Amino acid sequence: MNILVVAEVQLGRLKPANLAAVRMAQDLAAKSGGSLSIALIGSGVGDLVADANKYGVSACYTIDDQRFAHYTAGSFADAIVALVKDKGFTAVIGGEATTARDIFPRIAAGLDAGMCKGICAIADVDGGWGYQRPVFSGMALRTECIHTPIHVLTVDPTAVGEPDAGAAGEVIAFSPPGAADDAVTFVELRRAESARPDLAVAERVVGAGRGIKSADYLDTIGTLADKLGAAIGSTRAVVDAGWLPNEFQIGQTGKAIAPKLYIAIGISGAVQHAAGIRGAKTIVAINKDAEAPIFKIADVGVVGDLFDVVPGLIEQL
Amino acid sequence: MKVLVTVKPVADPNTPPAAWIASQEGKPTNDVNFVANYFDLIAVEQAIRLKDIGVDDICIVSITGDDMMAQVRSAIAMGANRAIIVDPEGKHLGWQQIAAVLKHVVEKEQPAFVLMGKQATDDDASQVGSMLAGMLGWPQATFVSEMTFSDDKARVRVGRETDEGVEVLDVKLPAVITCDLRLNEPRYATLPNLIKSKKAPVERLKFSELGIAADAKVTVAGHALPAGRTGECRMVKDAAELVSVLREMKAVD
Ligand SMILES: Cc1cc2nc3c(=O)[nH]c(=O)nc-3n(C[C@H](O)[C@H](O)[C@H](O)COP(=O)(O)OP(=O)(O)OC[C@H]3O[C@@H](n4cnc5c(N)ncnc54)[C@H](O)[C@@H]3O)c2cc1C
Ligand SMILES: Nc1ncnc2c1ncn2[C@@H]1O[C@H](COP(=O)(O)O)[C@@H](O)[C@H]1O
Repeated sequence: MNILVVAEVQLGRLKPANLAAVRMAQDLAAKSGGSLSIALIGSGVGDLVADANKYGVSACYTIDDQRFAHYTAGSFADAIVALVKDKGFTAVIGGEATTARDIFPRIAAGLDAGMCKGICAIADVDGGWGYQRPVFSGMALRTECIHTPIHVLTVDPTAVGEPDAGAAGEVIAFSPPGAADDAVTFVELRRAESARPDLAVAERVVGAGRGIKSADYLDTIGTLADKLGAAIGSTRAVVDAGWLPNEFQIGQTGKAIAPKLYIAIGISGAVQHAAGIRGAKTIVAINKDAEAPIFKIADVGVVGDLFDVVPGLIEQL
Repeated sequence: MKVLVTVKPVADPNTPPAAWIASQEGKPTNDVNFVANYFDLIAVEQAIRLKDIGVDDICIVSITGDDMMAQVRSAIAMGANRAIIVDPEGKHLGWQQIAAVLKHVVEKEQPAFVLMGKQATDDDASQVGSMLAGMLGWPQATFVSEMTFSDDKARVRVGRETDEGVEVLDVKLPAVITCDLRLNEPRYATLPNLIKSKKAPVERLKFSELGIAADAKVTVAGHALPAGRTGECRMVKDAAELVSVLREMKAVD
């Protein structure tokens, strides 16, 4: 297949989920034969080319225009569809992050192509291959087959490793037709600034659940996180209570993470939360209820009062 | 003002995975209880709350078999006016086909906007909303957790939940809006309303009559249970022991 990776740019940076997309694209290229290209879209993306164009791609397309200064699903999807049609790509791949989730089905509709979302592996199926992905809150895996000439895919970043490094490809500017999107206007991004590592890619994460009782205890959770060089994450209950903003939520409707260490503090381990931490290497659970479901997926557990255990950890580390 | 709200019946999220897989593969099982997709209930709730701004015709659209009417009724009973049910006639439809059916209904009904769940909790696909918007050539606002309308109702200001934070957009209507968890807390349908919902007009269509490609672009080849995690959880008694175990595992320095 002739594969196009659409690299996601956020806040002027390449998103880590792009790496998973490139890895999967390299595997698909090896499986199917064919070429690999990458596309960057935005305004002023030229500075990011060096960082994106190092994985043995044959071309790095830039769609760099004031029209794309702010992301809107309609204008970005139309631009990618135009590029795919113009260059004859047969697979379009992105990393599973909120922009890809928003835009890839629209790209698939524009290309009249089948799409699989959040794939974790390529699986052999009679006479060809399919794409495996977690479904039902990650409690089951499903293999799906696409029957259109073009395949549209997003990749679960917690499931695949780093791409192989390779030579840079030719940098080619592409200017899609169409005017700026006037149906959608960007107003603002409300974002909590944090000096801690990015939750999506942190090697260690401290997760806070409703068991912490109030937002005040987040200071102590923060002290533990800083001792470990960890990011803070949380359950829906904590976000709903207004103790942390939504981008801290881990799970089916939040972020999926794959840190080396996840410490779940006062978290029951509901299926929707568990869906986001399956990729973690080691899960530690601290919960006063020995029957809490979190102990079914944890590797190490303490049944105890978090208000004793957490200060103890801070002291010992 | 007319609003379409989509509702998909799905297996209860607490269904044991093996039973869910059996139900997906068409094997008979009694262990699966079906409910309306929770995100869709958020969409229904939102439509009801918009009565204040002039929403007076809430039409539920569901592509589902007759056996799932109770789940659709539970959504109508929250406070919708009517429903359009499209029978897939036993076929497992792909996301594009679902979106094409919805497009057909939207073109016929010409609503002010469409409210949907951001994803179905069985497939976890999150595809249909963006696909429908693309097919209609409408703007889209996905993963919405805040919504306010302009005075002339020509635009909606939404807060979208993204990895980076809440993105605020001003979106021209008509648009496809998909609802995230924090938009609202769906109400329960009361028994009297459940009884009343039986009288709500229901229009029935058949998939085969809509002129949509019969074959799905994506099909399911099979399911498996994920490899379990390491298995046993090693229990330790306190913080001191936890730290020494984590050091032993080289999980902390
Ligand atoms: C459609 C849908 C999608 C959802 N998506 C998500 C999602 O993406 N992410 C998510 O997290 N949730 C999600 N949820 C919510 C999920 O079902 C749970 O309600 C939520 O994860 C529970 O959060 P919690 O573990 O913090 O709280 P609780 O379930 O209330 O658990 C608190 C835990 O703290 C323990 N505890 C209390 N006090 C102490 C103490 N002093 N010391 C030690 N332990 C203590 C208790 O024993 C309990 O186990 C979703 C729900 C729905 C319906
Ligand atoms: N069979 C269906 N009938 C009605 N609405 C549906 C159906 N399938 C999906 N949807 C809608 O599309 C949304 C996203 O579904 P999905 O893309 O399958 O995750 C759901 O929340 C529903 O509102």
